Amino acid sequence: MLKYLPGLWVSKLTWLAGCMVCCLGCMNVIAAEAEFPRAWDGHPDLNGVWQALGTAHWDIQDHSAMAGPPAFGAIGAIPPGRGVVVGNTIPYQEWALAQKQQNFENRYTEDPEIKCFLPGVPRATYLPHPFQIIHGDQKIMLVYGFAEASRTIHMDKENPELSPIDSYMGRSHGRWDGDTLVVDAAGFNGQSWFDRAGNFASASLHVVERYTPVNANALMYEATIEDPNVFTRPWTISMPLYRRLEDNARVLEYKCVEFSEEILYGHLRAGADAQEQ
Amino acid sequence: MKHKGLLLLLLLLPLSGQAASISHIQLAAPSPLQAVDWYTRFLDCEAIEGRDEAVHCHGMDIEFDARPILGTTLGTGVDHISFSFPDVAAKMDELERIGVGGLGVRLQRFDDGAVWRDIDGFFVVGFIFDPWGTSIELVQDAAHQGFHHIHLSASDPTATLDRYQAAFGGTRGNVTATLDGLRFDEAWLLASLHETANPASTEGRALDHIAFNVDAIDSAVADIENSGIALQQAPNVPANARGNGRRAFFVSPDNVRLALVEAGWAGMILQESGGDELTQLLDNYEAPMTPWGEPDLQGIWSGDAAHGIRLQRPEEVSADVALSQVEAAARRERGTLQSIWGYEREWRDTTLGYTKTAPLTQVAMIIDPPDGRLPPMTDAAMANRQTGRNRGPAVPAGPEDLSSWVRCITQGLPNHMMPTVYNNGLQIVQGPGTVVIQKEMIHENRIIPIDAAPANDTIKHWLGESRGWWEDTTLVIETRNFNGRSSFQGSSENMVLTERLTRLTTNLLQYQFTVDDPDVWTQPWTAMFPLVLDNAQYDLVEYACHEGNYSMFNILTGARENPRD
Repeated sequence: MLKYLPGLWVSKLTWLAGCMVCCLGCMNVIAAEAEFPRAWDGHPDLNGVWQALGTAHWDIQDHSAMAGPPAFGAIGAIPPGRGVVVGNTIPYQEWALAQKQQNFENRYTEDPEIKCFLPGVPRATYLPHPFQIIHGDQKIMLVYGFAEASRTIHMDKENPELSPIDSYMGRSHGRWDGDTLVVDAAGFNGQSWFDRAGNFASASLHVVERYTPVNANALMYEATIEDPNVFTRPWTISMPLYRRLEDNARVLEYKCVEFSEEILYGHLRAGADAQEQ
Repeated sequence: MKHKGLLLLLLLLPLSGQAASISHIQLAAPSPLQAVDWYTRFLDCEAIEGRDEAVHCHGMDIEFDARPILGTTLGTGVDHISFSFPDVAAKMDELERIGVGGLGVRLQRFDDGAVWRDIDGFFVVGFIFDPWGTSIELVQDAAHQGFHHIHLSASDPTATLDRYQAAFGGTRGNVTATLDGLRFDEAWLLASLHETANPASTEGRALDHIAFNVDAIDSAVADIENSGIALQQAPNVPANARGNGRRAFFVSPDNVRLALVEAGWAGMILQESGGDELTQLLDNYEAPMTPWGEPDLQGIWSGDAAHGIRLQRPEEVSADVALSQVEAAARRERGTLQSIWGYEREWRDTTLGYTKTAPLTQVAMIIDPPDGRLPPMTDAAMANRQTGRNRGPAVPAGPEDLSSWVRCITQGLPNHMMPTVYNNGLQIVQGPGTVVIQKEMIHENRIIPIDAAPANDTIKHWLGESRGWWEDTTLVIETRNFNGRSSFQGSSENMVLTERLTRLTTNLLQYQFTVDDPDVWTQPWTAMFPLVLDNAQYDLVEYACHEGNYSMFNILTGARENPRD
């Protein structure tokens, strides 16, 4: 199925509605025991250092353990993990599935993460690095622990404004839906992957994220992924985000650019040709 | 240039029977003083007595308007202006030797790389840009030296010249055997087909308008309105005009802004004062607070206005001196041209915010030591400096030999906060107990925890470990644990940087920093400059620097091709 058909959009809505009922149901159960901190305005106070646990950064779908680059032994090997894709299926169009498989084959040279490129959305959220939420009165800022990535979530715009340029991290507008922060992100440049397994989207990507307090130290993160140029229908990922509880929890500066330079520019070093021979 | 004469008598003079002539053309230049200097130095124009914003160029007056420029002349209804020299090849050679650095000359080369060409049926020609984006053609026309022509770019060149002739007079004649033009006393008007037949408006561009003298401006305006062209500006004496002559504006069908001026027009008086209020602290200003009770510094602040302020005060200038607005504009223009002389003028003038804020008149940033100079360096630091230990090799062997900024890693501190020629936006976002400063330039974030304990760890960072606290309404940030790999003026990894951010007015944030680095300087030193709020038109964009760093490939590829390698 290469194109969206009206019928599929109807089924998408049904499917979305079903999912929301399910998720709201489970939230209610958990919310009863939550004492999430409150901000001055009564909304959940999201300030803090957060991090996803798990293996979604390797592969957002179910994956068995797998060898990595042999030189790195068990350090570079890929641990098994349950996927974060609701239903585990990513509804790729036919060509896009082939592209994903090609990305996977070339992952050790083509993955933007290897090159220390800005990670995009939602990938920044579940990279194996902490991120900090700075929750102010006009903007909510997300500062990620990888590649100096950040996002400004505009809470103060009545109407979403188009992104001035396509970008890796897109443009984000937020609003509150009860205790859930809903973020609408678009304006991407199509250069980002979802994980180290080569899952990807195009510049038409539109992500709607939901950050919902579960208890004092956890948020449930859900992101609905929509990209009519790559997928046959919208799909959703879901995972908890945990508060880092250490007293000195910080997002430390991790300027990874210099660690990617050998991969990107190593062949241009003085004497590089001689070494290859 | 003695074409005028009897033919004029034969003309129909449609502006109520008045003879019109070209009064002047108006070019933009943020610093008219420098433009006057440039045109007199390189194109043999002459200063006009009693006027500091205009030159006389062999029959044609050129006025310079002190304002930002929205782009070059190219693509507009006036493609270029032209000067005639007896030997264009020699003149181009002279101009090429001047170079493009500073307020130099930018040559427009032909496809084959040549700087001049003998065009069949025309002249030997060469093209240059002035530093403010006006394209200038040098022609070798023995019959007419000096200012030669204004070259219109039109959808129907013949009809355009007809229209000018009908409105303003002039004589049709042959510039060369095969080229027709409209002759005024001051210069030829020529017209060529615009490449898309749809010229852009000259308004706001490097050449804003052509002004014609008229004897009776009211009836001339009435004639123009009767011909179906709307007036843009009814006749008036603009504020700051030097004389009492009135000026009116309209826009021609080919998108050329035209002015009519009456007798008494004598250009504009440059604004020497009135800009200093920016740096004056408003009494009784109460800094706003966030809803959770911390001083509110949030917004998008720009160092654009401070770009060009030197770090150290020249020894001959005393501490109480400020620049005039004109001098400040000239300084910033000079600084801009020196830093990015290779960039396309049109790119930086249409995309950079700096032209939109008034330049600050502060002479230098260092306020302590009181002499405005960096304190003496320690002996060890001097020795390092002299051996050039911190300098990379001339030909980089690999990425490590290039600066952290070129590598898109960091600008370092305090350089990160300093104004440069573009991407000066700093976004401050606060949450309870945390301040984030995001810099647009190569995208960097500083997370500053408030009232946090010192880290007391051994982790080193490019931008150090910052912690902040409030002193009254001032945000104080102390930063240490630098990795020492992005030095500022020779600073070491042991630098302790103390920054103080104070909101002076709604739109003004004073930024002050103290560098305490006993390994390098014999005493701490302090500098300050203001940041200006720019929420209205500045939205930080993602500067994905490393992702698009073609420079690294180009520099290293070039280095490998270098025979010295």
